[in-house]
Amino acid sequence: MPKHIARLLLLVVVLATAALTAKHYFTDKSYYAYGHYRGDSVAEIASDEPRFRGNEYCKTCHAKQYDSWLESTHNQPVIGKHVKCEVCHGPVGQHPSAAQAPLSVDERIAMGSKAPVAAVATDGKLPLPKDRTKCIQCHEAMPGRPAAQRQVVLAAHAGTEQCTACHDPHSPKINFAILAKAPHGDAAAGKVLAATCAACHGAAGASVNPAWPNLAGQHAGYLVNALQAFKSGTRPNAMMSGMAAGLSDADINNVAAYFSQASCKTAGADPAKALLGKTKAASCALCHGANGVSPSTAWPSLAGQNPDYLSDTLKSFQDGTRNHPVMTSIAKTLSADDVAQLTAYYASTSCK
Amino acid sequence: MTQEDKKIEVKGSNLVRRNFFLRMLGIGTACAGTWVGSGNLIARAQSAETAAAAAPKIPDYDWNKHKWAFGVDATRCIGCLRCVEACKAENGVTQDAHHFRTWVERYVYLEGDERAHVDSQSDAQNIAASGSEKEFRFDNRYKDAKIEKAFFVPKLCNHCTHPACVQVCPTGATYQTKDGVVLIDHSYCIGCQYCVQACPYGVREFNHVLGVTDKCTWCYHRITKGLQPACVEVCPVEARVFGDRNDPQSPISAFLRNNRVSVLKPETGNAPNVFYVGIDKEVC
Repeated sequence: MPKHIARLLLLVVVLATAALTAKHYFTDKSYYAYGHYRGDSVAEIASDEPRFRGNEYCKTCHAKQYDSWLESTHNQPVIGKHVKCEVCHGPVGQHPSAAQAPLSVDERIAMGSKAPVAAVATDGKLPLPKDRTKCIQCHEAMPGRPAAQRQVVLAAHAGTEQCTACHDPHSPKINFAILAKAPHGDAAAGKVLAATCAACHGAAGASVNPAWPNLAGQHAGYLVNALQAFKSGTRPNAMMSGMAAGLSDADINNVAAYFSQASCKTAGADPAKALLGKTKAASCALCHGANGVSPSTAWPSLAGQNPDYLSDTLKSFQDGTRNHPVMTSIAKTLSADDVAQLTAYYASTSCK
Repeated sequence: MTQEDKKIEVKGSNLVRRNFFLRMLGIGTACAGTWVGSGNLIARAQSAETAAAAAPKIPDYDWNKHKWAFGVDATRCIGCLRCVEACKAENGVTQDAHHFRTWVERYVYLEGDERAHVDSQSDAQNIAASGSEKEFRFDNRYKDAKIEKAFFVPKLCNHCTHPACVQVCPTGATYQTKDGVVLIDHSYCIGCQYCVQACPYGVREFNHVLGVTDKCTWCYHRITKGLQPACVEVCPVEARVFGDRNDPQSPISAFLRNNRVSVLKPETGNAPNVFYVGIDKEVC
């Protein structure tokens, strides 16, 4: 072999050996264990700690919330709906902290501000939004969402009121039976006090002037709320503020009990207008009932109410003399015709 | 002996010594080469034999027994983006509007339009609507428009059977596991981003802080513990389905049995393992 070829070959062999030796020492031992990659990295990636830990984990401490969720519309496996704890609350992560763990939720609530805090402040804690941003992530009416998804048009639903005013997120379907219990009042004692009201609202709660509301048959809960609002000034009214100021809480409960049990009289209205109004009443029905009898005792029934009083009320919401988180925005969507027809409809529906 | 002869003799003995040295060096190198080479070959032969049966040391998990796959039912997706936020929280993805391992696209066909209007949660208008680059929501820009058809499509890594990204990786940093998941070994990634270019689906993202490429792992740390990937765990409407194709009772097996599914860009030959229901001609 010519000398220069031998030298060249020798050089190649030396370099190749150096390269192979270097590779042998610098390549990770597990590199070709399963293929052209570092075998140990598979187990390393698999060893990460999960942050979402599932409902069963939450249940161990928050059994009450879990149970109410279990039966709710937020958990319907049959139709493939699972709004689990961490969908809204975010990942559990390291919640509760080691300091919290030995104590039950009730114990920590009892301790108040002295209770140990979570390791990471946000882990598993839902920072309750001051607006409706959380619920509308799924429930805002939006093109592209399947029809089966429950959606609300924000502008037409509950004004600026928080979702939680009516819905419990753990069991979002409104349960009117438990929503608001009317305070217990003594109707007999209320009858005595009601003599003062009779001048305007009639002795039996049937108002003498169509501009003033009938009270007979109205929900006691609503009457209590209204009187308390007049008394505290949150609902200013030239006549009623003064009248309510003299009533104690017990008096208010008694008067409300009396009028709610009194037999009512349907005001009546133009049947043609009422028929038109019926077609527009669907959006009121959720809170005020399909026939004007509200499903919650905290909200007013409209059935049989004086049409003039109803339209005055709607107009006061429209012009801002009266304010309500839900009604103000809804009233502003109504035209003068809408108001006339809706009030005619409710005035003609049977109050009982 | 003449002076000339001495010179020749000296030269000669020098030559002999040099030859001896070179010969010895050559033999030594050859021996070393043989040793290293054979060592490597033996190691490779052994690893090829055992790789079929061996599995990485993951507690209570054998990758030979699973074949993971993912299903997306776009007809169920409500565009709530819980999956996108969950993925970021679970995997520590960069908290901004530019790095995602999974995302959701909105396709809207306005009346009379041939082509869809497409946006995702990282669209500037949607970021403005959410008011933050850490929380995501779709704005309601089409609420008063005349809509022909509209729907949401979740996207993620397809964990292809023939992944182009793995083929182009120069360091073996990205690879396919036995159970069908494409992973990245960050300690071997040199940040060249060939894989980002090679992926036909644009699912790979680059971590500018660490200088490495990142991607969806189907939450490999969760599925190897018997959990669902985070995006599947939080999907409130079962638009995302995950499971083991080796198990006929798994959600994904039922999904594939009960639906006529399609994959994205089948013409690229990557053979994706994310199967879609209810997507349209413009979704790719």
